Amino acid sequence: MKKILIVDDEQDIVESLKFVLENYNYACYCAYNGEDGLKLAREISPDLIILDVMMPRINGYKISRLLKFDTKYKNIPILMVTARSQEEDKLIGEETGADEYITKPFDLDEVVKTVQKYLAAESN
Amino acid sequence: MGNILLITENDLIHSRYKKLFEVYEYHYKVCSDTVSLYDFLENAAVDVIIVDNSITSINSVLTIKKIKNKIENVQILLLMDEENQCDIELSRLCNGFISGAFSDELIISVINSHIKNKEKSDIITEKNKELADSLYKLNVLYNTSSQFAGTLDVKKLINYMLEGLDKSLSYDLTCTISFGFENEPVLIINSLYDISEELANALKLRSVLNYKSLFKDGDIPFEIDDKNLKVVKYIKNPMNKFTFDIFEYDNMFAPIDLGDNFFGCIEIFKEKSFTTDDASYFQTIVQQVSLPLKSAGLYNEIISKNEKLEKLERVKSDFISIVSHELRTPLTPIKNALSILSSGRCGDLTENAVKFVNMAKRNVENLTNIINDILDINKIEAGKMDFKYKPMDMHSVIETVRANFDCVAKEHNIILTTQEQAQLPEVYADSQRLGQVLTNLVSNAIKFTPNGKNITIKSELKNAADIDKNPYFRDYLDTLNGNYVVVSVIDEGIGIKEENLLKAFDKFTQIESSLYRKVGGTGLGLPIAKQLIEAHNGKIWCDSEENKGSSFHFAIPVSSESVSGKTIQKELL
Repeated sequence: MKKILIVDDEQDIVESLKFVLENYNYACYCAYNGEDGLKLAREISPDLIILDVMMPRINGYKISRLLKFDTKYKNIPILMVTARSQEEDKLIGEETGADEYITKPFDLDEVVKTVQKYLAAESN
Repeated sequence: MGNILLITENDLIHSRYKKLFEVYEYHYKVCSDTVSLYDFLENAAVDVIIVDNSITSINSVLTIKKIKNKIENVQILLLMDEENQCDIELSRLCNGFISGAFSDELIISVINSHIKNKEKSDIITEKNKELADSLYKLNVLYNTSSQFAGTLDVKKLINYMLEGLDKSLSYDLTCTISFGFENEPVLIINSLYDISEELANALKLRSVLNYKSLFKDGDIPFEIDDKNLKVVKYIKNPMNKFTFDIFEYDNMFAPIDLGDNFFGCIEIFKEKSFTTDDASYFQTIVQQVSLPLKSAGLYNEIISKNEKLEKLERVKSDFISIVSHELRTPLTPIKNALSILSSGRCGDLTENAVKFVNMAKRNVENLTNIINDILDINKIEAGKMDFKYKPMDMHSVIETVRANFDCVAKEHNIILTTQEQAQLPEVYADSQRLGQVLTNLVSNAIKFTPNGKNITIKSELKNAADIDKNPYFRDYLDTLNGNYVVVSVIDEGIGIKEENLLKAFDKFTQIESSLYRKVGGTGLGLPIAKQLIEAHNGKIWCDSEENKGSSFHFAIPVSSESVSGKTIQKELL
């Protein structure tokens, strides 16, 4: 079973993503802040990460950079969830390494399609 | 009356002239050698010098030259004997000659006429000096005026005034109360010599009293108190000290004001007496600084208002951005929940449940679009919208948009077709933004077109001259020049009243607001489209006939004629 890590400080968003993705037979792991997200990513080496940008302590861009510069994790696809806010704009500037950007409020079916695209490509 | 010096070593001459001088009551002195001569010249006033040509103990030419340098306008008379030969250089240095053969009367008349010459020359010299002085002061005045005109900085203006006064009046001390800096009154003491704490306090008290005396019967514009008045001291020469004698010095005082505007006051002290000219220079300079001080005040007011406005604009922009972000986050789980419900993963829904879930989904979609529009217009207005310009093909944009609307058009039973000119040249543009504009135009067209009617997306290459311009947009479109790819969205909807055509692109203007309410939308779609198209150096406009339909067009310059993306972005900023 493919492992997906969902990192977002909004529990409702995490829960709805988890519900749908589990329906598609993915094993979902959840973290509700950046610190836990990064720890969990290193612990379980997921097959894909859905990562929110604005989070307390460590933001999504930073996590993405940390993982993408690590040879052990750099191949994990990262779907970055953004709210297109000004605070986010201020954080950009360096390469984040994310593979895909999803704008809030996103469409669940679209997310599923994107996830399938990356995970199918990987298994090939 | 006159002061006469006789230079001779001849006793006969000495005794003859001595008698003569005594009879005619001249002050006189006789010298026979250089030592006594220079001793005498050190302190004495001399009008006429009579030099005996036959003297041998003194070098006459050298001596006369020295004397002339020392005493301005002194008259030199050369005393000659008939057999004396006069040196040419010597004769040039002299103002007149006396011969030993002259009668006493003749000698006296020659001396008298030269005393008069000396008096007149002195007067002329004096007047010349006054003139030179006036000229200098006028120059100072002129320079000070130029400096006043060159700045709107209150501190600089006050400094220029004090510099100007120093140069023209060479004051010993000035006390200036100014209200211009940092919104608090300041006493500026400019002093030639150092002043003690006690003297500074006395000057402060005096300045405050002077200031208050200006408003004996009226309201004081600024309340000041000698206890908390801030003092700034500038000392030119700290090696010396002024004493309380400064209050015995001559002084002048003036307010610095213009009409009802009051900027401060100044008192100026000088050991020597001020002349009437000095008084008028003082008045002129102090008055001249008032006008730029007034302008400076107004200027500062404008600056601070501008800063406030800019801050307000930033706050507004930040506010919109934060609110939009905060709205997006809760919208996401709502959307997700609805999507899960309608997917049937939580069990089958009743017919009514499907209806209401769809209603909620539709409205979430609307809300999302509204937030996106507000964010976009906010970004554009703040100059923060990024464009990714590259050469692109308009066909692909049109095809993508048409495909996206296929389903919606079918739902509304609307026939959506494209009519594209083959082989359109490339345009230099951001395909995503053009897609956004076209999406907006098509979705508007669908909103206003009844079921069963047609909507056409048309593209063609046109020269600016061949573009049809209705009278409402003629001026706007007249600036087009060269070749353009023109994209039109033509509907068979309700159309727009002529008088509303121009308003269609205004921010927050809703044509027939009730109608818009029925179909939803922020009224920001077209203003955003206009901004996006204009960022591409293009134009957007519309034609319409009521109840027959509207056509919205936008023109984008073909690649070779469009400017580089960087330039466009700069213009947008």
